[in-house]
Amino acid sequence: MSGKMNRRSFLKVMGWSGAGVALTGCDMPTTVTLEEGKEDVVSYLMPEEYVIPGVGVWYASTCTQCAAGCGIHGRVREGRVLKLEGNPDAAMNNGKLCMMGQAGVQGHYNPDRINTPMMRTGGSLTPISWDKALGVLEEKLGTVNGDRFAWFTGTISGHQSVLLTNHLDAMGSTNHYAHEVVNNAVSRAVNQDMLGEANPRLRLDKAKMIVSFGADFMGASQSPVQYAGQYAKFRTNKERGLLIQIESKMSLTGGSADLWLAIKPGTEAMLALGMANLLLNKIKISDAGIPADVRTLINTYDITKVARVTGVAGDRIQRVTQLLSERAPSLVLAGAGVEGQAQGYATTAAIMMLNHILGNVGKTIESAGDFPFPQLMAKQGGTADLVAFAKAAKAKKLDAVIFHGSNPMYSAPKSLGLTEAMANIGFKVAISQFPDETTMAADLVLPVDSYLEDWGTQVPADQAEANAIHVQQPLMEKLNAETKGLGDILLTLLKQRKKDDYGQFEDYYAYLRNAFSAMPTSVKNDAKSNDEFWNTALQTGVIKVDAGTKTLQSTVVSFAAPVEDDNAGLTLLPSPRLGLFDGRHANLPWLQEAPDQISKVVWDSWVEMHPDTAAKMGIGNLDLVEVSSAQGSVKLRVVLLKGMHADAVAIPLGQGHEAYGRYAKGLGVNPLQILDATTDGKTGELAMYSTRVTVKRVGPADSLSIVRMGTGAGDSQVGRKLVVTVPVEQVRRTEGT
Amino acid sequence: MVVKNRLINPGAGFARTGLAGMVFLVMLLMSSMAMAVKYDVVPPSGTHTGEDVPQPIEFPHDIHVKDNDINCMYCHTYARRSKVAGIPPTSKCMGCHKVIATDKPRIQQLTKYWEDKESPPWKKVHDVPDFVHFTHEKHLKTLAFDREFPVEDVKEICAFCHGDVENMTVANKVKPLNMGFCVNCHIANKDLGAPGDCWKCHK
Amino acid sequence: MSLDNILNHWSDYRKGSEEGGHHDYEHRWAMAINLDLCIGCNACSTACYAENNLAVVGKEKFEKGQAMHWMRIERYWDQQELEHPEQGASFLPMMCQQCGAATCEPVCPVAATYHTPDGLNAQVYNRCIGSRYCSNNCPFRVRYFNFYSYYESSWPEPMEQQLNPDISVRDKGVMEKCTFCVQRIRTVKDKAFMEDRPVQDGEVVPACAQACPTSAIVFGDTMDEGSVVSKLWKKHQVERGVYQKTKLAKKDADLRGYRIFEELNVDPSVMYLERVREDI
Repeated sequence: MSGKMNRRSFLKVMGWSGAGVALTGCDMPTTVTLEEGKEDVVSYLMPEEYVIPGVGVWYASTCTQCAAGCGIHGRVREGRVLKLEGNPDAAMNNGKLCMMGQAGVQGHYNPDRINTPMMRTGGSLTPISWDKALGVLEEKLGTVNGDRFAWFTGTISGHQSVLLTNHLDAMGSTNHYAHEVVNNAVSRAVNQDMLGEANPRLRLDKAKMIVSFGADFMGASQSPVQYAGQYAKFRTNKERGLLIQIESKMSLTGGSADLWLAIKPGTEAMLALGMANLLLNKIKISDAGIPADVRTLINTYDITKVARVTGVAGDRIQRVTQLLSERAPSLVLAGAGVEGQAQGYATTAAIMMLNHILGNVGKTIESAGDFPFPQLMAKQGGTADLVAFAKAAKAKKLDAVIFHGSNPMYSAPKSLGLTEAMANIGFKVAISQFPDETTMAADLVLPVDSYLEDWGTQVPADQAEANAIHVQQPLMEKLNAETKGLGDILLTLLKQRKKDDYGQFEDYYAYLRNAFSAMPTSVKNDAKSNDEFWNTALQTGVIKVDAGTKTLQSTVVSFAAPVEDDNAGLTLLPSPRLGLFDGRHANLPWLQEAPDQISKVVWDSWVEMHPDTAAKMGIGNLDLVEVSSAQGSVKLRVVLLKGMHADAVAIPLGQGHEAYGRYAKGLGVNPLQILDATTDGKTGELAMYSTRVTVKRVGPADSLSIVRMGTGAGDSQVGRKLVVTVPVEQVRRTEGT
Repeated sequence: MVVKNRLINPGAGFARTGLAGMVFLVMLLMSSMAMAVKYDVVPPSGTHTGEDVPQPIEFPHDIHVKDNDINCMYCHTYARRSKVAGIPPTSKCMGCHKVIATDKPRIQQLTKYWEDKESPPWKKVHDVPDFVHFTHEKHLKTLAFDREFPVEDVKEICAFCHGDVENMTVANKVKPLNMGFCVNCHIANKDLGAPGDCWKCHK
Repeated sequence: MSLDNILNHWSDYRKGSEEGGHHDYEHRWAMAINLDLCIGCNACSTACYAENNLAVVGKEKFEKGQAMHWMRIERYWDQQELEHPEQGASFLPMMCQQCGAATCEPVCPVAATYHTPDGLNAQVYNRCIGSRYCSNNCPFRVRYFNFYSYYESSWPEPMEQQLNPDISVRDKGVMEKCTFCVQRIRTVKDKAFMEDRPVQDGEVVPACAQACPTSAIVFGDTMDEGSVVSKLWKKHQVERGVYQKTKLAKKDADLRGYRIFEELNVDPSVMYLERVREDI
């Protein structure tokens, strides 16, 4: 390698000489040799004392692969981050990390990252310089004012969120649309009304029994690693916890249940009311705090009616309810399948009511206290904002929108008309890492750093008991000189509007240093100087904060009576999963190659159906079928699973990208596109789990990338002692649980 | 012994050697006759005629090691605490060469790299394939430190695999460094705990 | 290791295996996996991909069964006499069991796989000629063959910068499998050596154990009696050595610890704890 050896080529060179090929074949690049003078060995210029070539250094940072915000440790060798682990100092995840977190390095080193600003000229995006890009930005945003400007993001928190809010102020706008497909917006609304807090702290580890109405808390949830950790304690407590999962499609959490009950989609409210009926009228628990109209409603749901309508056997309902009254404290959870119904609020409220009746509030549902930095708290996404955004854009109310951390062009149902609506927005900016659908529809694209090379703070919405601000620091230098940090871009935007206020900060790093120094002493933990506080924060990756303790109120709000639907059709469940999540990780090969936990399919889409339902339609396993809603149809293969309700079909989310790089593009189908645009009346959230579909066989069975279990015998242990299940009584005797 | 505590003083040179220096030299000779070491080692055998590898700057080991008595580990400082011995960071070179021999053309080449904030793009001379795990620190511990081999003579240990570097300008590979070379030395020094297990070295 | 040598010492090798293998072990690495805590989330599997430079083979090759998942999560639906799917799924993390009497070791024509003094089943990539006899013999089906060279397809620039330099990237024609993260074991042992002290329990954490959100995987040295894994093995009365011994040794058949395919006499180093479910 001749000529200049700068940081970038240094990284390139070290990459090749770090780990080459074990054996050289004829057609292989020869990167491994014994020969003298073939490999480069680049020395440092002036390294820090602790940098020793050959010895890894670990740095703390924060994961941003989902909204959870787990603390991470990154292993860095010779200036490259290689492996991510959980940060043991982060109380939230206690040194553990899920598969999405592990795959973060693949996003960082992804070959399809955008490496240069781009502008739309003559219909296509062409590379331009940053100077030009910033000029265009200043010019275009300079003509827009007030609510004709908007930010469209995912869940966002920390100091980045502060800057974003400040920029909105500077633009005179109040339009911040926050959109997440995997969200708990409806639960937040119910919690706010019933408990006085939107995000109370859930304590699965304190519960003796959990009844989960489809809440996939260990999988695609707001904080999978945290809840999985709590689950482990739940199971290993002296009094071993009992998990009942009631849902229409078996989720990852459902896979670990002691009892999994299939329920007809859309009838969960009636089951909750039936259980309340038993608790109040049969088991005679006090009905204090329940409004009269709800009390009357409860009385109309007797066990026979509930069993008939929901499909859950009457004796099971009685047994579960009886146990709930005995095993206190318990916890009843409402999941996405419940929240995402046309009566999502009412159903979730009915389920939360059970917690009130059982006296769980204050025991397994705790107050999250008062987070001492409210401005840093997360602005959490949902789908109501997506609906509102599409409406505003369609009505030509928006002239300029900046997109970051969300992909509405992928996740919006076609029926919202977003593609057409976007055309009405004169100036669309995408601050983006990858060429996803929304980025490819933008007029100006600003390439952003990955989270592993950027500064920031993250404040998880679901905090552990030990509250913290999570610190994000670069684990290595930028891979590409042309990407900029999110905070830096935000500062630049602010300086364009408010030079006086922000001109003093050279970059986001300087802003953060200043912000940290300005924090109250109570948070600085006896640090003798601001430098010491900063260094400790970086070293541990967390700033512990005290949110204090509060008591939660527990009231039951009136909610609408369930609508009894006699429609005999099939309900489509667009199921997110731990892995591809809501589609954001379809460009990470490890996550594509990791089999879906329940169906074991890889690199593809599929639709899950109950074998009985399929048999009635003459559909066999792996047949090609067409799933049609009123909005459109998708063609994909069937996987027959008994872990389904007969009236439900589930298409897991994540595939069907039309852009987004080599790993994601053109693979599978996107069920979000064919959803009805029904919304929950109370919250405005999209009822994603309420679309009715028909299924038609269109082709014979063919191969599907499904992992074969064991030696290829299928899903059965064939009598071998592979996974053995033993009854809890046996363990109580031998292990004292 | 005084010898052990002697500070490495690059640039001391023979010119400064007085009577004390002579006494030191004699004692050095005696110590290197294996009197102070705790146990013997069998050096590896085998030679190799290496190619001349042109480096961006023709670094003269002879001037630094033989003439100025700089210890191997002064520059290749990571040898005692890492898998790799490491090429010294440019700041180490500049530590002396900011003032020493600044008129010489090679120093000026070096200074240009330093001012351009680049490291010279050195070429690797001694290499083992990427599937081999070789740790310098363990070898130094067993062959030098645990033996209480005088640190200032460590070049004799380094010479086991790197040859007579003090008489070279740029390094030249004069030992084969193939598996047989390593394994035979491990077999000969088995009682020192030299491993024979494949997975100790094959990654 | 010549054919002569194997033939002359075969009975010693067999006997040795029955009486606890080599008698000059440095460590005997073992795992205990609590199937009651395994939620089947795939964190361990993905962490293994990241740590061990595992190739992503893509859709077509995956369908042919050519995937390289050293640690895989198997999911079964049936359990003895318990109705499916009412008791959820049975998840089984399966990786090389590092058998004490491994069936893969004696059949390698070039002795590329053998038993190390650490109690691990070693795979030396350089020596492997790709006969695939070993994977044929493995009852757990945990050996993976590189049918293709994945270097360019799996790691398009700049993804190769993520590769772990402590472990090779395997080329076509080479067999590979879980190593209990031998590179991590090696690093810890080197550090302990440099500091003149023994390896402590909890120092070596394989990638899978480190990632697992429920801490279902416990790793350690059964030669260290104070280690967590030793205590677990002892508590559940699972012993190394062959089946008969374990069967007789286990005084309480209700204890949850067991090894898979115990009756095959391969002496795995992984103990599983039975999954627990409450029947209501």
